[in-house]
Amino acid sequence: MDLTPNDDQIALVSATADWCRDHMAIEDARSRSDDLWQQIDAMGWTAMTGPEMELDHATEALAFAELGRFLAPVALLSSAVAARWESRQGRIALAVTEGNMLRVLDGSDASTALGVVDRRAMLFDLPAPLSARSSLDPTVTVACFDEPLSAHAIADARAALHLQLVAAAFAVGCADAARDMAAGYAVIREQFERPIGWFQAIKHMCADMAVRAAVARSQLYYAACALDSGADEAAFHVAAAKRLADQAALENSRANIQVHGGIGMTDEALPHLCLKRAHLLQFVVPAERSALLVIA
Amino acid sequence: MDIGFSPDEARFREECREWLNANVPSEKRPINAAEAIEFDKAWQRQLFDAGWAGINWPREYGGRGLSIVQQVIWLEEYAKAHAPWIGANFVGINHGGPTLILNASEEQKAWHLPRILKGESIWCQGFSEPGAGSDLAGIRTHGRIEGDELIVNGSKIWTSFAHVADWQELVLRTEEGSRRHAGLSWVICDMHTPGISVRPIRKMSGQTEFAEVFYDDVRIPLANVVGGLGNGWKVAMSTLSFERGTGFIADQVKQSQEIEELIATARANGTIADDRIADDLAQMRAEVAAVRAMTYRNISEVMRTGQPGPEASVIRLFTSELGQRLERMAVRLKGAAMLDFRYGDDDDVSDYLRGFAATIAGGSAQIQRDIIGERLLGLPKSR
Ligand SMILES: Cc1cc2nc3c(=O)[nH]c(=O)nc-3n(C[C@H](O)[C@H](O)[C@H](O)COP(=O)(O)OP(=O)(O)OC[C@H]3O[C@@H](n4cnc5c(N)ncnc54)[C@H](O)[C@@H]3O)c2cc1C
Repeated sequence: MDLTPNDDQIALVSATADWCRDHMAIEDARSRSDDLWQQIDAMGWTAMTGPEMELDHATEALAFAELGRFLAPVALLSSAVAARWESRQGRIALAVTEGNMLRVLDGSDASTALGVVDRRAMLFDLPAPLSARSSLDPTVTVACFDEPLSAHAIADARAALHLQLVAAAFAVGCADAARDMAAGYAVIREQFERPIGWFQAIKHMCADMAVRAAVARSQLYYAACALDSGADEAAFHVAAAKRLADQAALENSRANIQVHGGIGMTDEALPHLCLKRAHLLQFVVPAERSALLVIA
Repeated sequence: MDIGFSPDEARFREECREWLNANVPSEKRPINAAEAIEFDKAWQRQLFDAGWAGINWPREYGGRGLSIVQQVIWLEEYAKAHAPWIGANFVGINHGGPTLILNASEEQKAWHLPRILKGESIWCQGFSEPGAGSDLAGIRTHGRIEGDELIVNGSKIWTSFAHVADWQELVLRTEEGSRRHAGLSWVICDMHTPGISVRPIRKMSGQTEFAEVFYDDVRIPLANVVGGLGNGWKVAMSTLSFERGTGFIADQVKQSQEIEELIATARANGTIADDRIADDLAQMRAEVAAVRAMTYRNISEVMRTGQPGPEASVIRLFTSELGQRLERMAVRLKGAAMLDFRYGDDDDVSDYLRGFAATIAGGSAQIQRDIIGERLLGLPKSR
């Protein structure tokens, strides 16, 4: 048993973070270049989960947490799942369903969307052209359908868990980003002649952010390993990871805005980007209570 | 990364399970302090004789010399088998012994460690004072050097098991006029020395498990100083790192057991039909899984680098608060039957009342948050 990342994993994580910092900084999240997807593709992050790559979920979760930290395009999630289980290449949009309504996120240039319905991963055929508009998350477009789209289910039941896992990884990254933004600001912003991070009311909020992020991240690693090992309780562990990661992302994002004060709720500042991303991820294969209470 | 156990570890787990199933006492640990101590000592002796004491302690001091992974496997099986709480042996086994292993002289180790493992000497921790709780550096109990002895005067409080202990980790001021962290020493104090008097204190849960200790010209040989005169702060910090870092692994693994029992109770008495209860249980089951993942990660870190990672403080804080949520749930599922509690009962209600300690003792939740903010996130020091 060993739950520390190995050297290869550490190298991949730091390479991913370096690239993201240079090419996908959060500061530029609202005006990302049109060819960002091509760049991501060229770097291999879209193909990395293809069956021939034999990438384990543990390594994948680590890489996706880094990508999530930079609020990477959400179509990476659906594309990763389609690549692994259907050998699909290129951009696959992310589908979110609620009742009869289907929302396609990041759908431009995509002919297919992937989402989970009743614990099954489904591929939806998209009409062209897609009439997409801006969404709550400024980095993401949305197209709404209230009529059913033609679709087929992915045969392997693990595909749905896979989407839940990578979405949890994105949420862990988002929780990390909010924590680091808050701690960073608490060191430089001064009031009453000292950094606001000196005040325990702020320090303890930041500490709670660190706890939530660390708790979610540990469960994420464990869930990824459980999925790799084909353990019976993998579904429970992935659901637990998603529940804790969503909570960490949302609560950390909210706390981050509070730590920033007035500037924290402006469009110009960055904190709202984490909050909005956290809300989006909440709707991607949410953890069901029944999956968490399942008898071991 | 790998969550599997090796064939050797799996075999070890099997051995633990078999022995525990055959040997866990069927009677409960008595609640009366005098009987409880006899029970704790006898059980510890039984563990020692069968080779289950000090699984990851060095062989030369009576331990098994196995890894911390095996120690965790043992604790997991221990919790599953409903084996007794470690009780009065907590201090000696979880942080007194480990502090000695790291800091004490060969002579001190050779004498004390085997006795701790055999349950022959009960230890207590004399750190907190009436005027120095969270602010440990504010302690005033002092020892004047006279020949080869310290003459100790002052008092300690909240000392768990002081009234039944044979030895104490005593931190005191040995340099006159010294302030704060300087001039302190960590000494082995024989609790049977003349001049020591102990006033037991009852908790709101009914148990008498801690005490106030008074020192009136108590003579302690200088040979009992651990880690050198004046180095008490450093040695005390290593004690706290054991207490906070690995001392609570037993609590962490026990939570996995507790949540399953709560869910079973809620199913059996129908309260799971209440959506809020069902959701809180689901939430805690996810949280307990995460604590287990963090514990495994932490011990992987210990295996790799020899010490717990900086996240040990996160686990400690999260586990203590989660433990309280579990205890609160247990009394919530009881309903008005909670009102039938009276002193002397040893049940979910006394666990709930006693559980308030988790966020006070061994560094309060507020102090843990300071540590996380300052050491993990780099925020400015408030104190
Ligand atoms: C069941 C139990 C067993 C114990 N066993 C032992 C033992 O065996 N040996 C031993 O030496 N001690 C023991 N203790 C003592 C324990 O270590 C102290 O209670 C603890 O350190 C807190 O000190 P205090 O009680 O004086 O509270 P205080 O330090 O007075 O704290 C009171 C409140 O103020 C808060 N506070 C204090 N300082 C700060 C700060 N800087 N910022 C924010 N908030 C702050 C605290 O968090 C707390 O909420 C035990 C305590 C309990 C409850």
